[in-house]
Amino acid sequence: MPDTDTPLLECRGLTKSFATPQGALTVLDGIDLVLERGESLALMGESGSGKSTLMHLVAGLDSFDRGSLRLGGEELGELSDRPLARLRRERIGLIFQQFHLVPSLDVRANLTLQARLAGRFDPDWCAHLLDRLELAGLERRYPEQLSGGQQQRLAIGRALAVRPELVLADEPTGNLDERAAGAVLELLLNLIDEHGCALMMITHSPAVAAPLKRRYRLTHGRLVDTTTDGA
Amino acid sequence: MTGQLTLWRTLFSHYRRHPGQLAMALLGIVLAGALYSGVQTINDQARDSFARAEAMLGGERVDRLQAPAGDQLQQADFVQLRRAGVPVSPLVRGQVTLENGQQLTLLGLDLPTLPPAMQPDAGAAGGSGTLGGSFMQPPWQLRLAPDSARALGLQSGDRPRLGDGRRLPPITLQPRLAPDSGITDIAAAAALLERGRHIDALLLPHSATLPPSLADRYRRVSADQALAPGELSASFRLNLTAMGLLALVVGLFIVHSAMGLALSQRLDSLAVLRALGVSRRALVTGVLIELLVLGVAGAILGLIAGVGLAGLLMPGVSQTLASLYDERVAGAVMLTPRAIASGLGMTLLGTLTAGLTTLRHAAGINVLASAHAAFEARGGMRRRLRLAALGAIVLLGAALLWWRLASASGGLLEGHRLAASFVVVAGLLIGSALGLPALLDGAITLFTRAGRRATLHWLLADTRAQLPRLSLALAALLLALSANLGVSGMVGGFRLTFLDWLDQRLSAELFVHAPADRVEAMQQWLAGQPGVGTVQRLRQLEGRVAGRPVDVRALPIDSHTRARWPLLNATADPWQRVARQDSVLINEQLARQLQRQPGDSLDFTTPEGRFNATIAGIYADYGNPRGELTLARAAAEGRWPTSADRTSLLLYDLHGDRQALAGQLQRHFALTGEDMIDQPALKQRARQVFERTFAITRALNALTLGVAALALLSALLALGRWRRARLAPLWAMGLTRRWLALASAGQILLLVLLTALLALPLGVLLNQALVALINVEAFGWRLPLHVFPLQLLQSVLVAGVVALLGGAITALQLWRTPPRRLLEEFRS
Amino acid sequence: MTFDHARARRLLPLLLCLLLGACNGGREEHEQTGQGFADLGSAASGYRHARPGQTLSFPRDHGPHPGYRIEWWYLTANLHDSDGHTYGVQWTLFRQALAPPGEHPPASATGAWQSDQMWMANAAISSPEGHFALERFARGGTGQAGVTAQPFSAWLDDWQLSATGENLTPMQVEAGGTTSSGRTLGYRLQLEASGPLVLQGDQGFSRKSPDGQGSYYYSQPFLEAEGQLRLDGKRVAVEGRAWLDREWSSQLLGGDQRGWDWFSLHLDDGSRLMAFRLRGARHFISGSWIAPDGTVTPLGGDRLSLEPLATSRVADRELPLKWRITLPGRSLELTVEAEYADQWMDTAFPYWEGAVKVSGDRAGEGYLEMTGY
Repeated sequence: MPDTDTPLLECRGLTKSFATPQGALTVLDGIDLVLERGESLALMGESGSGKSTLMHLVAGLDSFDRGSLRLGGEELGELSDRPLARLRRERIGLIFQQFHLVPSLDVRANLTLQARLAGRFDPDWCAHLLDRLELAGLERRYPEQLSGGQQQRLAIGRALAVRPELVLADEPTGNLDERAAGAVLELLLNLIDEHGCALMMITHSPAVAAPLKRRYRLTHGRLVDTTTDGA
Repeated sequence: MTGQLTLWRTLFSHYRRHPGQLAMALLGIVLAGALYSGVQTINDQARDSFARAEAMLGGERVDRLQAPAGDQLQQADFVQLRRAGVPVSPLVRGQVTLENGQQLTLLGLDLPTLPPAMQPDAGAAGGSGTLGGSFMQPPWQLRLAPDSARALGLQSGDRPRLGDGRRLPPITLQPRLAPDSGITDIAAAAALLERGRHIDALLLPHSATLPPSLADRYRRVSADQALAPGELSASFRLNLTAMGLLALVVGLFIVHSAMGLALSQRLDSLAVLRALGVSRRALVTGVLIELLVLGVAGAILGLIAGVGLAGLLMPGVSQTLASLYDERVAGAVMLTPRAIASGLGMTLLGTLTAGLTTLRHAAGINVLASAHAAFEARGGMRRRLRLAALGAIVLLGAALLWWRLASASGGLLEGHRLAASFVVVAGLLIGSALGLPALLDGAITLFTRAGRRATLHWLLADTRAQLPRLSLALAALLLALSANLGVSGMVGGFRLTFLDWLDQRLSAELFVHAPADRVEAMQQWLAGQPGVGTVQRLRQLEGRVAGRPVDVRALPIDSHTRARWPLLNATADPWQRVARQDSVLINEQLARQLQRQPGDSLDFTTPEGRFNATIAGIYADYGNPRGELTLARAAAEGRWPTSADRTSLLLYDLHGDRQALAGQLQRHFALTGEDMIDQPALKQRARQVFERTFAITRALNALTLGVAALALLSALLALGRWRRARLAPLWAMGLTRRWLALASAGQILLLVLLTALLALPLGVLLNQALVALINVEAFGWRLPLHVFPLQLLQSVLVAGVVALLGGAITALQLWRTPPRRLLEEFRS
Repeated sequence: MTFDHARARRLLPLLLCLLLGACNGGREEHEQTGQGFADLGSAASGYRHARPGQTLSFPRDHGPHPGYRIEWWYLTANLHDSDGHTYGVQWTLFRQALAPPGEHPPASATGAWQSDQMWMANAAISSPEGHFALERFARGGTGQAGVTAQPFSAWLDDWQLSATGENLTPMQVEAGGTTSSGRTLGYRLQLEASGPLVLQGDQGFSRKSPDGQGSYYYSQPFLEAEGQLRLDGKRVAVEGRAWLDREWSSQLLGGDQRGWDWFSLHLDDGSRLMAFRLRGARHFISGSWIAPDGTVTPLGGDRLSLEPLATSRVADRELPLKWRITLPGRSLELTVEAEYADQWMDTAFPYWEGAVKVSGDRAGEGYLEMTGY
């Protein structure tokens, strides 16, 4: 089990730039960030400000240029593809704006997919999640037969089924109408609470960010703590 | 482990949801595998049958002694040679017709003197043991291969009845004997074939020497210089193999596009899997296993289908080989471990090759970037130009090699000329396929310049944009169409030329071998028969050119001869020269061997000395592997003793019953049935052979073309979603779905028709390479190039049908797309 | 289909069986050789049989006797070159009838190749360099092989034993060829008789078992030989003594007899000894003492003993290559020993046939044949 004394997530001087025809574009310029276990954090910023990039780095989906990124004490920059993949499937739950469900798998298979990939499928927990996400009875349906809200609830279930230490959500309600968005968000926060894992969520909506413990804004590659701003 | 299992199940779940794609991918593999395995099976069968036939007469280790032209070997020859210490063994060989009309070749052997090389290997030595007793004593034994016995509906112990009621010896099964050939004691065979003391050949170990005093009295034919049906049929089989490989390649295009379709639809899912913590290696392994499972399943099904195909084609192939090369092929299909391994192996390898792109994509899948962007075709024009440059180099190489082959003999290519010819053909095909995308691109760009209207402009530009995704399928179509044209052009030309030639050369209605002592009497008798038109006398002799024996024909030079000997190439007034007795005609084979032209001189040896003649002309002599020389009958007088004479009478312009006349001749002059050749019947048989060959070619061509069409259609299906994303904005800008559907169909039509037009010259070129290179190297004679406009038209029409089908699929896909789907393209 | 060794081995035990007689006892061989064997007993009934009291007549009886099942012309020679090396030469022509006379329609009705007669010839040279054996086969009726009585000639292919004069003298014999191992060999000898033909047994009837089976058997044991051997291109001039045996029969042996040991010895005092032992439940021993003038004294089992002294391993078999021959009536004891151990005839029908030397009360040389080992 990971050492509980170290923070869950610790970024120091994290820097990332992309090559463009106009030269290197620095998206993240020395990010320092610490996230404790069970903490929730909202990441806000303009389109293209680098929110998603930061999240991808945290998820081990992309590599950074400089700095240090430790997840539960492990330095991500030193891991190769296989341990990174393992870390991702065992410790992180990912929720995308586009849901990214596997269209050829039914609801149950999609929900349990990551848990099964990680080898820690827990039927009771999954049944509980189905229940809580109001997907019970829809197990044999395929994603295309679900509403947008249902699809996103399924994506949340998939992320939580593995009992991750950290859930990364990229605009989880961005594709939903207002009513569905509210319901999904509430459910997500409740489940995160219930499960006791940390949450890092990208959103551009202050309303969505509001219930989270800490709020940050990314501008010009720098992270600004706005937790106390107009809360 | 559970993680791996989940991964595989997730990957396969795609096919559960889209069984059509699975079916398409499998169909591709099965078709490719079936064509390849089918052709290979036929080949193996032919090779095996030939090996068996060869082994039965000792192969290369046993030579044959034959009587000089005009003579027949006798038992006394055998005894005289044995008593001179020459280890010859007599052979009697002939056909018998069974009661049910089936033919069986009967080989009569003399066990006590059989050359050691004709002893079967230990594995085949099974069977009943009282050889000397029952093999050599009445009622003797008829040894048959088990498959021959099955094919004739006979089993061990049976005594099949002949058409005339006599019985063959009881059957004993012995593996590895040539198909449709039975071995029996020479006493039994001579009696059944009514040979008396005549024998057909003397077998002699290749290592044995013939004393000089006897060497002149016999024609020694060794396996390497003989009729070599092995080589002839090898080239036929080489053609089959080439066709099988082509089918494999074309079939794998289907696999490629089917896998591509499955991939493009799963890219999102693959990216999700990576995001959910599946490592690159695990993902690649998963996709590889999927490929392997598909490949193995497809290969096994393909093998089964291939055997079925072989079973369908085999009778035709075996009849063709039998009639063309006197080579028997067992009619029943059998699968050797080799054939199974090669069929499965090639198909699986092909599947993996076709799936390489999928694997590469799976390995390089970008978790972050838009899946569609990742699948975006790379390169575009630059890549096309690179391919085209490569294609041009290949074509240039092929052209150079062709030129070398056509202009020079000897040198580095010697001994590999046939292989080099096949390299030329392969180069033509590959080079053209490589150049196709750039050519299509260029053609469309030209159209674009010509067009002014914005919609047309867009349409053409969009067609260009589709090229990278369709070029592989279009290349497959190009190959299939041009191979189709080339091969059917060659076979058609062969048929036309050969039948023409047969009509001329076999214009005599009855061909009668006349024994030297009866020829005068026969001519007188014939002169007195009503309904007999012209009777020509032909002497068949033998001479030597450059130390090698050649057949010599001595003919009267009259109007009949002139009319019936088409010359390929001649000096002025060739017949007058021949009639003057200082010139001769030679067949194409001899001309190629000696590299002589009309007008060159030719030195040859006759029994009475040397003869220096001028070559007045060269005639076609299809199907004859030996060199031949023809001269005026008067020129043969004095150069060959009459005792060496083997005279035949050619009977033209017969009115009345040919069969009756033949019967009368036979009775009157004590001739055997084998002395008379009913030429119209022979021509009829030759015609049937070609019809069968034609049918096989047609069947294989149709299959290849079908496979290519399927490849194109599956590529179009794979394009569907991508097309929708490109067309959605146009729909949004106010073009109707109907217009877009028709426009899309038009684009496909344009691409396919352009490809078909390119296939036309390529097909003709291929045809030319086949007749002028491969045929010459394999058979020793060249066919004139025949272009069949109807075939060309047919090809374009077939391509048009394929295009319409493809267009219809594209159009239907769009037509049936609800506007909501098009709208979705904007949302993501 | 073909005449490979494996098959020939199955064919030729049949020949051996014919040599040996009815073959009632050889059950194992019945199994091995297949169905054709079972008929032999009854088939034998159609043949003519050798009986005592028949007078042999020459030159007629030099020729073949197709009514009898088996017949041979058997020449062996003990030769020496100028360096004193010892050589042995064998030339044998066997004739075998495959069916009794009249069982099959005559050849004239069945064609030019049908014949009930099979011919087999063996030729061998024993030399200091080794033993070389050749064999040839032929069907009857074609002229490839045959025997004529007057003038005498026996041949198969270019192998030939023929007389230019009356009564088998002078004769010439020749044979040659390439062995399966690629050695070429051959010989040509002139043979001149220095004594008369000898009728073995009872005026030419030689009993082979207590049951009365036997054969017609005469010999020419007084042949002086001179000629040339060819061994892989090397030519060797040789001279020495030769022995011709002629024998024919339809049922040679008793049922339980398995093989024989057969001696033909030239003794230095000019006499000759022929002795054989047929091995069965009880050995049957017989022989002839031939005085230098050709006078024959038949030797029964009580006046002749043959005793193996030592065996050697040849061709995977234990063969008695050293013998003691005792003639009690003449107080004669001879030791017979093989010149070379390996004189094995690795032919379709394998046997040991080779030159021997004689010591003891008389010196001499000769040939020993051992079958059925």
